Amino acid sequence: MSADRAVLVVALLALLALACAAAAGEGLDPSQLPADTRDDYAVFARRCSKCHSLARALNSGIDRDSWWEAYVNRMRRQPGSGIAPGDVQPILRFLHYYTLTRPRGDGASADGALLSERE
Amino acid sequence: MRQALLALILLAASARSARAIERNFAGSAQIDYHWLQHERNDQGTRTALDGVTAEVALKVAIDVTEKLSANVKVCHGCHGFELPMAYFDLRLADELNLRIGRFSPSFGNFNLRHDPANHATSDKPLPYDMGRMIRWAPWNMGVLPSPFPDNGLEINGTHWFGERVQTDWAVYAVAGFRGEANSLDLDWSRSLSSATFLVDNNGRPTVGARFALTVRLGEANDLSLGGSGMHGTFDPGNDLAYSIVGADLTGRFHRTQVRAEYLVRRQAFNEDPRLTFKAPTTGTGRDHFDKHGYYLEVEQPLTDAVTVLARADGLYRRGNVTADSPLTTRSAVFRYTAGLTVALQPGFRLKLSGEGWAFSDRFPEHQRWELSIHLGVVGTF
Repeated sequence: MSADRAVLVVALLALLALACAAAAGEGLDPSQLPADTRDDYAVFARRCSKCHSLARALNSGIDRDSWWEAYVNRMRRQPGSGIAPGDVQPILRFLHYYTLTRPRGDGASADGALLSERE
Repeated sequence: MRQALLALILLAASARSARAIERNFAGSAQIDYHWLQHERNDQGTRTALDGVTAEVALKVAIDVTEKLSANVKVCHGCHGFELPMAYFDLRLADELNLRIGRFSPSFGNFNLRHDPANHATSDKPLPYDMGRMIRWAPWNMGVLPSPFPDNGLEINGTHWFGERVQTDWAVYAVAGFRGEANSLDLDWSRSLSSATFLVDNNGRPTVGARFALTVRLGEANDLSLGGSGMHGTFDPGNDLAYSIVGADLTGRFHRTQVRAEYLVRRQAFNEDPRLTFKAPTTGTGRDHFDKHGYYLEVEQPLTDAVTVLARADGLYRRGNVTADSPLTTRSAVFRYTAGLTVALQPGFRLKLSGEGWAFSDRFPEHQRWELSIHLGVVGTF
């Protein structure tokens, strides 16, 4: 192995180690969720990670139940989505919980009034 | 194109203020550095797009009514600003949706994940390669470079039989790929450049269809099988045809994803008497070549933040070529990839992959492996 290639390999390994040390998951830690939400989160995590990272949904900024419903149904209709009609309600229940409790930019949780359509 | 970009920005800017209509604004950006072991061939020509590249995409999805939605996507990549999506969906039922506008027609499995944010490596599987492969110019990229937006109409739908079986289908008519009467292959750039995609070059649509079946095998496993095909003419006189067919099989077993696809394109071309070919010509003035492509990949999350991928893919071309082409009448390329992604933040990932390449041309030099490394970051919102 030439010196240049050795430097490249070492640099990549160092970068990789740094990245792994700084890594943060794309989804949520199920152990931090209420017990009655974990099953719903499991359905969300299993179905919604098939085509994209969970962060795409969690970072979407959606803050209303009707909006989530339209979003999830759009995903359900994607070819080969694997999101069965029976998956929709557990996913929506989790997203409802998530919208109420997620951290927001101002440090507060979402305003529950925005979700009054389902409450 | 500037008007389309401006319209997209205005739509995005109004997304939070206008609540009457549901709007989703999403985007992604990938910055990639491609390192090559040998960046030039024997003629001193660069063999790949090495160095830093950037792909940026912005998308707005709008639910105008319960049955009508619109999608507009603008991206910036190798071809400058492009408009890969601008269409309406008129959904009469889950099983019957009418799509009109500019979109990639339903073909294969990968195109659903073609956005850099939705696949693990910085580049695409070789059948769908759009310029990131080594020696992309003589190969004219993959079998069907993705995405492949076109103007037209698609009727599609999905239906679940109970909770375990999902079927998807689509039929479409689009303008089709383009080329000149003396073209030896499709001119992909003419489908992407805003200067040429507006008006079809021959007026005859390309037609195609796709059918896929997804079966859920328990709570955490599913298997999908699909078949796709399209056929059309690409020259102004409608004398030269192309046909593309593909099959795909993908499976998810707990967190492990396994994907395999096979594509083949039969491509007619004129035997221009002014050109010299490597093999004897047919004498009819017309010939064709077949271009095959495949990939098999396994993607395995190790943790919530780290995912590894292994892929084997390749291309095989069989057919006459001009005397000055580095290809032969039977050429192949094989690639083996090991990659990983690390989520540095939710929605922000580092991508690292190493690739080993072997080419069948110019024996025995093909036995010298080409190595390349991609290092990139991709962000989504």
